[in-house]
Amino acid sequence: MTAHPTASWSAMQDGNVFYRRQQLYSTSGKLPNLNEYIVAGCKYGGPLAMMRDTTKVISIGGTNPALNKAQIQIYSPAGDGMLLFSWDNGKIVRFGWTDDERLVILNEEGVYRLYDLQGDYQQYSLGSEAGELGIVDACIYESGLVAITGSLTLLEVKGWEGARPLSLANPGLTSPPHAWAVIPPDLNISRHVEVLLSVEATIYSVDNLEVVDQRLSRGPFTHLSPSPNGKSLALLTFSGLLLVVSTDFQRSMAEFDTSTAQHADGSVRQIVWCGNDAILVTWDAFALLVGPFGDTLEYFYSGPIFAVTEPDGVRLMSPEVCDLVQKVPASTVSVFRPGSTSPSAMLYDAWESFSQRSPKADESIRSIRPELASAVNECIDAAGHEWEPYWQRRLMNAAKFGRGFLDLFNPSDFVTMGQTLKVLNSVRFYEISVPLTYTQYLHASPSHLVARLTARNLHLLAHRISTYLSLKPDAVLKHWASAKVLHSRPSGSGTATVTDASADDEVCQLIVDKFRKLGGPEVSFADIAKRAWEAGRTGLATKLLDHESRASDQVPLLLTMKEDRLALIKAVDSGDTDLVYHVLLHLYNRLPLGTFFRLIEDGGERLTLASRLLQVYAREQNREMLRDFYYSDDRRVESAVLSLEESTQILDPASKINAVKAAQKFFSEDKDRAFEAKMMDESVRLLNLQMQLEQETDGKITFSGLSVNDTIHTCLVNGMAKRADKVKSDFKVPDKRFWYLKLYALTSTRDFEGLEAFTKSKRSPIGYEPFVNHLVEKGFSKEAATYVSRCDSPRRPDLYVKCGEWRKAGEECKTRGDKAKLMELRKKAPNSLIERELDQIATSMR
Amino acid sequence: MASDDQSSVPANESALDVSLLKDVAKSALVDALNSVNGAKTLVLDASLSGPLGLVTEVSLLKHHGVDKMFWLEPGPLTSTTSNVVYLCRPTIKNVKIIADQIKRHARESLKHAYTVFFVPRVSTLVTRILEEEGVLGDVVVSTYNLQFIPLADDVVSLERDNTFKELWVDGDETVIFDSFQALVSFQKYYGSFPRIVGKGDSAARLATLLHRQGSTDSSSSEARLANEQTIDSLIIIDRRVDMITPLLTQLTYEGLVDELIGIKNSHVELPASLVNPPAASTQVAPPSAPTSTAPVAGLRKEAKKKYHLTTTTDPLLAEIRDLNFSSVGKKLNQVAHRLDEDYKARLQAKTVAQLRDFVGKLGGLQTEHQSLRLHTGLSELVVPLTKTEEFNKSLEIQQNLLASYNVSVQLTAIEDMIAQGAEMQTVLRLLCLASITAGGIKAKTLENVKREVLQAYGYNYLPMLLSLAAPSLSMLLPNPLPSTVTGPKYPFVLLRKSLRLLIDDNPEALDEVENDISFVYSGYAPISVRLVQCIAQKGGVLSNPAERDKQDQDGKGKTTKVQAHPIVGWKGFEDVISTIPGETVDIVQKPANAVISPMASLLPREQATTTVVFFLGGCTYTEIAALRWVARQNRGRKFLIATTSIVSGASIIEGIAGVGKAGGPKDAGI
Repeated sequence: MTAHPTASWSAMQDGNVFYRRQQLYSTSGKLPNLNEYIVAGCKYGGPLAMMRDTTKVISIGGTNPALNKAQIQIYSPAGDGMLLFSWDNGKIVRFGWTDDERLVILNEEGVYRLYDLQGDYQQYSLGSEAGELGIVDACIYESGLVAITGSLTLLEVKGWEGARPLSLANPGLTSPPHAWAVIPPDLNISRHVEVLLSVEATIYSVDNLEVVDQRLSRGPFTHLSPSPNGKSLALLTFSGLLLVVSTDFQRSMAEFDTSTAQHADGSVRQIVWCGNDAILVTWDAFALLVGPFGDTLEYFYSGPIFAVTEPDGVRLMSPEVCDLVQKVPASTVSVFRPGSTSPSAMLYDAWESFSQRSPKADESIRSIRPELASAVNECIDAAGHEWEPYWQRRLMNAAKFGRGFLDLFNPSDFVTMGQTLKVLNSVRFYEISVPLTYTQYLHASPSHLVARLTARNLHLLAHRISTYLSLKPDAVLKHWASAKVLHSRPSGSGTATVTDASADDEVCQLIVDKFRKLGGPEVSFADIAKRAWEAGRTGLATKLLDHESRASDQVPLLLTMKEDRLALIKAVDSGDTDLVYHVLLHLYNRLPLGTFFRLIEDGGERLTLASRLLQVYAREQNREMLRDFYYSDDRRVESAVLSLEESTQILDPASKINAVKAAQKFFSEDKDRAFEAKMMDESVRLLNLQMQLEQETDGKITFSGLSVNDTIHTCLVNGMAKRADKVKSDFKVPDKRFWYLKLYALTSTRDFEGLEAFTKSKRSPIGYEPFVNHLVEKGFSKEAATYVSRCDSPRRPDLYVKCGEWRKAGEECKTRGDKAKLMELRKKAPNSLIERELDQIATSMR
Repeated sequence: MASDDQSSVPANESALDVSLLKDVAKSALVDALNSVNGAKTLVLDASLSGPLGLVTEVSLLKHHGVDKMFWLEPGPLTSTTSNVVYLCRPTIKNVKIIADQIKRHARESLKHAYTVFFVPRVSTLVTRILEEEGVLGDVVVSTYNLQFIPLADDVVSLERDNTFKELWVDGDETVIFDSFQALVSFQKYYGSFPRIVGKGDSAARLATLLHRQGSTDSSSSEARLANEQTIDSLIIIDRRVDMITPLLTQLTYEGLVDELIGIKNSHVELPASLVNPPAASTQVAPPSAPTSTAPVAGLRKEAKKKYHLTTTTDPLLAEIRDLNFSSVGKKLNQVAHRLDEDYKARLQAKTVAQLRDFVGKLGGLQTEHQSLRLHTGLSELVVPLTKTEEFNKSLEIQQNLLASYNVSVQLTAIEDMIAQGAEMQTVLRLLCLASITAGGIKAKTLENVKREVLQAYGYNYLPMLLSLAAPSLSMLLPNPLPSTVTGPKYPFVLLRKSLRLLIDDNPEALDEVENDISFVYSGYAPISVRLVQCIAQKGGVLSNPAERDKQDQDGKGKTTKVQAHPIVGWKGFEDVISTIPGETVDIVQKPANAVISPMASLLPREQATTTVVFFLGGCTYTEIAALRWVARQNRGRKFLIATTSIVSGASIIEGIAGVGKAGGPKDAGI
């Protein structure tokens, strides 16, 4: 029988809180001496990366064969070597892990690489400036890094996609900080990264805006460590005093003198948080857990240890074992605490009695009847926090037993927990060695776990887990297929092409079949095709690409494969204009102009969109190209319009005329565009005339750019009536329009005599009503009235009214003998005076 | 009362809650701003200010670290903060300005951190231009995904200016793809479209994109399943299918205000005296003028102020916005009387309790009072404009052209209007209308009119005339067509008969009962809405449901609205629809995993469903009014109107001509 869970517990705070140390794996003899290495551990039960610490003296002829080469070794938590590779790219400054278990290695030239667990890497740089200054130190956290350059400034990189490094505020250091730490953006209120630097006796907190001196006086500090939730900060002074303060430095939370620890030997190695309220201080072979009230727990080991913070505890790697130290979760305490009388403890007790066929079971159940549901839930939760399957099973059984006494119970929690435990137990197995706790699993999500397994090339397990948890299988499949493509490489490069092709077919078929069988329709082949192409297997890539249904995924690869036409067609079909631009601009850069145009023109109907988009782009950015494009395609009208558009932007009259002339020429070359050509001809004439007019007026009046109407108007307003007449005859302006123009112009200059003379010059083609209306509208009622007499007689009374001449309106009625109209007017009359006048007229009519 | 029609929506028929979209847009903006730490200078694309004003207010921006705001315009930028944030559409013009400003700073060796948010997404094109200009390395490029913005509780819009020109003059289909993406996210929030029906080539392209997406992507099918039943279909109407409607003068209240005064992003510019209540009582949060590099246009004759036309702060608007303008005066009068009586209630208040009751209502009354004052004032502004000769002449020509009455006389009348110096857009709208309704204008006449237009308004309008005649638009064609141009003509005369477009209305009846959707144009029914009726209210195309209602009323004394019939595509109207140029779409999308019996979708359901009508290329206020009317005739179906933007004939013509109304964005609300 497995030891009782409480066997690993130790009490703290007078037995109110328990911490437990659980052995996860036995690593005896598997790990090298951690003292001689620089180590970086990955969260969530991830592996350890280590590199020999060249500052340490070690004995030659030991267990380590290659010491003079820079090597990185990666060990699983169970102590098995996972990967070993040598480093040949300058001096390593720092290495650390990303949240998707990739190893980041940064060298002093500011170059960093991201290694996955298969040893493949991507390389990025912090920029040339950082390269020149050199990198002194760096802090790598899960979602980015902060580096200190040679000039002691700070650079930040967000994410791992090779983002451009951003400079943080300059702290103005004169020497590297004694110690420093980074609070990741997601733990900060500002949601931006914050760097804490221990400088002299104080601490500077730096973000991208400002440097704040926190005015501490107890420094300098050798260790800084922010808590997992980013709210508190542990500091260790040179004298060994451990301080805990809030990260806003407003409150001091605890103090503890580590030098008082009895078994402490030598200097402190690490300060790590265990949960959010306890701190683990490690020495060479000894770890001390300091609780919030200064109480301590001691852990002894046989050799040097390394601690990795987890969200719910600390993982300790020692030469013999891999341990997890954590606060015992509440539900577990509630069930197993000696003497506990909580409902869950009673339930567990009842179940034990039941399995021993003792009648006590009934009594216990009865006693907790009202709290049974919560007791069941607590047992389920406690099962999740147990490491040993034996105890997991017992707790689940207890829960199941209690469930039987409930009328209504939603079993989904129970089922999910069962599934989760199955998954967790399978990945905790030492050959897989992902020691994930239930809390961590919830933190990191199941798909994260699956991704980690695929990254270890454990495709079968990953796939089974993802189907078991009904996750989508495509991520696993994709990774599997890429691995398949890489590994199925034909053995010798000299093999005949026939076998090569058949091998391609085979692999392609294999992948496609597997996808069809396991994945839905949404699996993307493009990524795999890309991998195949990168691996130099063009044939396979094309074959795989044929199976891809999404155009947007096909296009970039097709471009790299130089399948230009196909890429363009696919892009147009996708309807994504951005994709079309992507292809167009790419091709424009790569192909000779002629070939490029031909490609688009030959596409005909199918590529209309591409051609249209090219025109939109070129009109704004590259007119020269557009002109060539139209010219090469004999598009006269478009060329003309382009030329015309340009003419509107030209200020110099002479070159403007030339542009319009060019447009005219293009139009005249197209026999269907005779009208347009003629119009352009007129336009040129007008521009010439306007130039002439401007000269005549010594440039005092601007004519250029006006329409024919406006030109006439301007002439009239400026007393150039002769000129206006000339424009009229030159451009065959119809009489009607000319009359209106003249009316408007003369009214605006209040040249009523001129207007009078003009109307008498000949019979108005527009009648005289417009004169009345316009003059009234402009407020010249008096002048307007003079024209009423020339209008049609039936309209006259109303028009007079418009001019405010009620009397005349009445007289008009009288002369026409229209009594009804007169009465109508009388009704509308605005005041009694007019009423009386109208009455008079009415009486005189009798 | 019309207000009852709108407010008496039963609870179970409540439409989709579009304010969700506003919240999404707002929080996305906040996230975008917060991603840049510290105080920042915001440089805003003027064309975005209107749309942004609908989702956020200046105070929110200030609250999230925006120190100063500038318009994005050519010229140097002075920024006091180290962070400069650009928020703009991914157009070449904008990007060039940005690049220029950054280079200027570099020359003056000013150090700033630049972030550019492109709306709604980054395009390869602009990053490429940033690269060509050599500044890509200096900026952080990101996106602010602003998609549908709710304009009213049943209208959402992408608020993209000039989509019409982009689509059919430039052939730039970006807006189709953007609409597609917006509709995809729309489906994520509200459930998928079980059926997509549409008309027009671009509509077909959009439908294909949506269908392809629907069949490949079932990722969020579980989430969607919950409200699977709330949307019954998506109807896509391509603006090209119905060019006539926007060419006409809109005659509803809101439509007429748009025609004569201009509504931009739901804001209308009014004299300040009208917007500000005399006393500083209830205030419609005035959009404070931003600090701008542009000198504030102080030379305006009268201070103008933006007023947001929304029913949330303006209850009266809901009652009058969709009325034919002729009945607005009467309605306002009614409201004034009611208000007066409500105020008088005070005199009758005898007990303290009654008095307290009255005081409780006082706030509401004052809001209503202010709103009445504003709309009365606004109507007063509009009325003189409807009395001008140009306005009435153009209405007359429109009505005659719609009835195909003596086309050549109408053309002469149009020429007269040119001679009288009528507005360019008015003339061109009439010309295009003549060409479409009559199937082209006699070549000789057309050439003459075109010459008149060029002489009167300038030769630089020649490209516009060419665009209008281009096959993609075919709005201004000679008759007979030259051999080079092929393609079917718009069968207006046929449609007029089969879709019952022209209604004889007697003015008395119009006041009382809204006869048919044709009330929006005083007797002409917009084709686009008729097409929607072909799908969602088949009876309404053939006869007036309102009239039937009336008969029922006489018979039974109580009106029961007809239950809306399920969506069965174009059924019954296939012949008519096929005569209209452009592809016809009818796609039934199978839900990915839900097995629904084929009959289930045909059975009438008690639960109300929503039909989303998407206008690709923009819709007019009259079309919205008409669709609201359609929705009121049936039980069990709501309409949600989605559009790329709100358009009018003027905005379309001016868009093609490339002359926007100047000075519009300068003093935008935000």
